[in-house]
Amino acid sequence: MLVEITAIIRRDKVAPTMRGLDAMGLGAMTITTVSGRGRQGGNVMTDLDREIPAEYDSVSKITRNLTPASFALVHSLTRPVFWIPKRMLQIVVSSGMKDEVVDMIMSVNRTGWMGDGKIFISPIEDSLRIRTGERGLESV
Amino acid sequence: MKMVRAIVRPEKENDVVLALEAKGFPAMTKTHVFGRGRQKGLKVGPIHYDELPKVMLMIVAEDPEVPVIIEVIKNSAYVGYEGDGKIFVSPVTESYTIRTGEKV
Repeated sequence: MLVEITAIIRRDKVAPTMRGLDAMGLGAMTITTVSGRGRQGGNVMTDLDREIPAEYDSVSKITRNLTPASFALVHSLTRPVFWIPKRMLQIVVSSGMKDEVVDMIMSVNRTGWMGDGKIFISPIEDSLRIRTGERGLESV
Repeated sequence: MKMVRAIVRPEKENDVVLALEAKGFPAMTKTHVFGRGRQKGLKVGPIHYDELPKVMLMIVAEDPEVPVIIEVIKNSAYVGYEGDGKIFVSPVTESYTIRTGEKV
């Protein structure tokens, strides 16, 4: 039984995550450069002299269902950042190793600030190593 | 839980994102990809383009929200010509927020 672990993480955490995976004997992964936005819909670059008014959070939610970045754009407050550069790691492992890998990724990547990322687990039906034709568990 | 992957025209990216945001789905991941469809690319005069630039949006949502997301993307990415893109839905069994360790 194979599962795919898709982790969308900060750019500067790729190397520590890879070191952690190496230590577990998992060398194989796919890394993609992606842009992401979370529940906050991006970010807002705050200038020191032009603070975002405190009410933007409640106002945006009630009146227009706007995210902070859209709110900032509409009210020309600061420069909104709609897409935050991220790295996506995809690792295919046997389902028995899943929890161990997830715990490792979470402990390496947790800073406690928004934007730490997400981990998604999805089933993989089959896997095949092109060079040798091995299938399933032996191929990962 | 499902992952919805939408491959849309790059010029329609903003429309799709704003439409999803208005419906309450602000969180997604974007990648710039290249692809071709059933028409095997595009032929303009003597030149054949078989890798056309597209934007892939990935959204993970609960099962009942998936039809809403699909409807929003379908309406906002629609042009009516070949190359409007595809939407794929695949299963996701677990999802974690790294900051809190919370499992959904």
